[in-house]
Amino acid sequence: MYDVRRTLKFQRDADPRWAEEVAARPGCEGLFSCQQCGTCSATCPLSLYMDLGPRRVIALVREGFRKDALTSQTVWLCASCYECDVACPRQIRLTDLMGSLKREAARCHLYPRRFPVPVVERELCEVISHGRWRPESWRILGAVLRFSPAELCRLLCRRGGLNPPRGFAGTRPSDRRCP
Amino acid sequence: MTRYAGGLPGVAVAREYKYMCSDPGQELIRQDIRDHGLDRIVVAACSPHLHEHTFRQAVALGGLNPYYFHMVNLREHDAWVHTDKAAATEKAMDLVRAAVRRVKWHVPLEPRQVSIQADVLVVGGGIAGIDAALTLANAGKHVYLVEREPTIGGHMAQFDKTFPTLDCAACILTPKMTAVKAHRNITLWTMAEVRQVEGYVGNFSVTVCRKPRYVLEDLCVGCLECIQACVYKQAKVPDAFNLGLGKRKPVYIPFPQAVPQVVVIDPETCIEFKSGKCKKTCVEVCAERHAIDFHQKEEIRTIQVGAIVLATGFEVFDAARIPYYGYGLYPNVYTALEVERLVNASGPTGGEILLRDGRKPATVGIVHCVGSRDEHTNRYCSRVCCMYSLKLAHLIKEKTGAEVYSFYIDVRAPGKAFEEFYNRVAEEGVIFIRGKVADIYPAGNGDGRVILQAEDTLLGMVRKIPVDMVVLSTGLEPRADAAAVRRLFNIGCSSEGFFLERHPKLAPVNTFADGIFMAGCCQGPKDIPDTVAQSGAAAAQALALIDAGVVELEPNTAHVVEDACSGCKTCIPLCPYSAISFVEEKRAYINEILCKGCGTCVAACPSGSIRQNLFEDEEIFDEIEGLLVPA
Repeated sequence: MYDVRRTLKFQRDADPRWAEEVAARPGCEGLFSCQQCGTCSATCPLSLYMDLGPRRVIALVREGFRKDALTSQTVWLCASCYECDVACPRQIRLTDLMGSLKREAARCHLYPRRFPVPVVERELCEVISHGRWRPESWRILGAVLRFSPAELCRLLCRRGGLNPPRGFAGTRPSDRRCP
Repeated sequence: MTRYAGGLPGVAVAREYKYMCSDPGQELIRQDIRDHGLDRIVVAACSPHLHEHTFRQAVALGGLNPYYFHMVNLREHDAWVHTDKAAATEKAMDLVRAAVRRVKWHVPLEPRQVSIQADVLVVGGGIAGIDAALTLANAGKHVYLVEREPTIGGHMAQFDKTFPTLDCAACILTPKMTAVKAHRNITLWTMAEVRQVEGYVGNFSVTVCRKPRYVLEDLCVGCLECIQACVYKQAKVPDAFNLGLGKRKPVYIPFPQAVPQVVVIDPETCIEFKSGKCKKTCVEVCAERHAIDFHQKEEIRTIQVGAIVLATGFEVFDAARIPYYGYGLYPNVYTALEVERLVNASGPTGGEILLRDGRKPATVGIVHCVGSRDEHTNRYCSRVCCMYSLKLAHLIKEKTGAEVYSFYIDVRAPGKAFEEFYNRVAEEGVIFIRGKVADIYPAGNGDGRVILQAEDTLLGMVRKIPVDMVVLSTGLEPRADAAAVRRLFNIGCSSEGFFLERHPKLAPVNTFADGIFMAGCCQGPKDIPDTVAQSGAAAAQALALIDAGVVELEPNTAHVVEDACSGCKTCIPLCPYSAISFVEEKRAYINEILCKGCGTCVAACPSGSIRQNLFEDEEIFDEIEGLLVPA
């Protein structure tokens, strides 16, 4: 399968009001003062694993490309080490911004595709914000099912010699918008 | 608004006109004075800072004393600062009512005239000071040029080439330096500092301290034999002119073309000063002229000048303040000014670009915006770093053939032929990487190389580039003692600490102190053409002031009601202009020429015996009452 990504951006995809709303959140005030120097990406110890890097996330957020920003792996890879906060020449609190984006993404069920990190966060989020308590075994099973159902099948097959269930397609989170 | 004002008690006529400051508007005022026999005028419009003078003139032409006029600032005090239109209109009515109540107490006043001294003091002998001094001296004024260092020339003397034309800096500067020395209208004092400034516009009394250089300027001919003869056979002292990259002896001349061409002895390192037991071979070799004098003392001189031009310049940002760039830690990390000396033919390496271990660099990284555009250091753009970085990139490429990487955030090339120069350097093969360097660390294999880590923001990838040499393009900062200089000359500063101009657009070389002008980087970072343009402007302003012969002073000064003064002396230490003195009849006396009308003494006087023109008690109280009590 080819995963073709459209790189042309139409202005109708942008939501400048969302950018303003993000900039009004505590810790995100510096959003529009970013000079795109790349110090954050260059200091970030995890940026080599990121799809965008913190600088490009800021660029997406302030242009209002909400979905692209919230479904980037960068938001979830941020380990809150505060290296970028310390180095940023505009003193933008990037870690707070990443945290804010993380919370919004979890609240609105927007996650990067085929990426394991949000699973744990998502489960936590459901407990905290929706009070949906489930036994831990269910939770683990659900997580593995979502993340890699094939792996589970292989595991079960090897251990107990079971046949994989027929017609099993797995579940994938849909990109539901916030109510 | 106009209807309301017209109905106020005492108002004969109220008018609305779109541009009252225009000629027809002023004519309207004159006409109304004649037609209605008006004796007080209130204009409610923009700031008195802009047009008070205009309207006072209009009132004077109408046949009234100009101080029968009062201006209400409806722009800055009302229209520009409020969003609620109805409330703002109400406030405007209050302000106009207060002014109408106040203006009836106004009394006729006359501005005072004082004569002006013809001489000018120029502080700082960099390119700005040199140019201003030459312009003033050529116009026939006597100029005192005071420089702190042993030679004039300033930072420009340290540069190798100038962007974008690549003129040799020394070749274009040194003729001006020698012209200063040779000019009969210029008194040049090097190793001198201004200690005290007293007086007022047109009549400053300035105390200058000339520090000893232990060599008599009149006798030294600059043969430099004493340097040869010094008991130090090898030069051992780090040389400040070459930023410590070269060495000098305790007796030295800063650089070959120094002006004045006189050696200087550094008492910190000279053996005679440290132990008193030197053979003094320098004195022996100078036996004919007796130019060396170890007993020279500092000399205090007081001069009378009419105007002052400040050209105290800038300081280079200390790159060691940014720890992750490793300046001072890794030997191959240099500042741009150091590289400027390395490139220079009269520099410590004779113009060859050599690293501290003697190698020629094969890859060079230039880091822009060091100490500029950064909240941790300086927020402002230093304006010249981009262009001098391009120049250094060109010179390094030309002299060593090295691969040059230039890490920039934005290249700012907004001058005449600047963009063309940028294109030329790019075409020469300098690699431009858009991204701020976040870290510099050793490559780890012991060959002295360091790795620059930055995001190439145009590729969207983090890059790690090993280089032999790093050039930090350090920004410009106000001098460390700028605050002390400001207090000395009683002028203000902007938020970064550079001296504040009277108006950013329309009075860029004037300060808020009358008769004190400024030029060059003490006002803000700028390149050489801008500096020279500004020093010309400052010189012209000083000439305009002096050639007028007399200066008019605002009559809004304070005066003592002699019978009521108890002689408590409360006012004397409070006066920021030292205008109040104490006379033997137990009374305070205010020198009206020194008084700037700040009102501090008026408010502080316990017996209420100090009064101020245009701020008399009746005027202020009636104004307050008018503001608070609706008519």
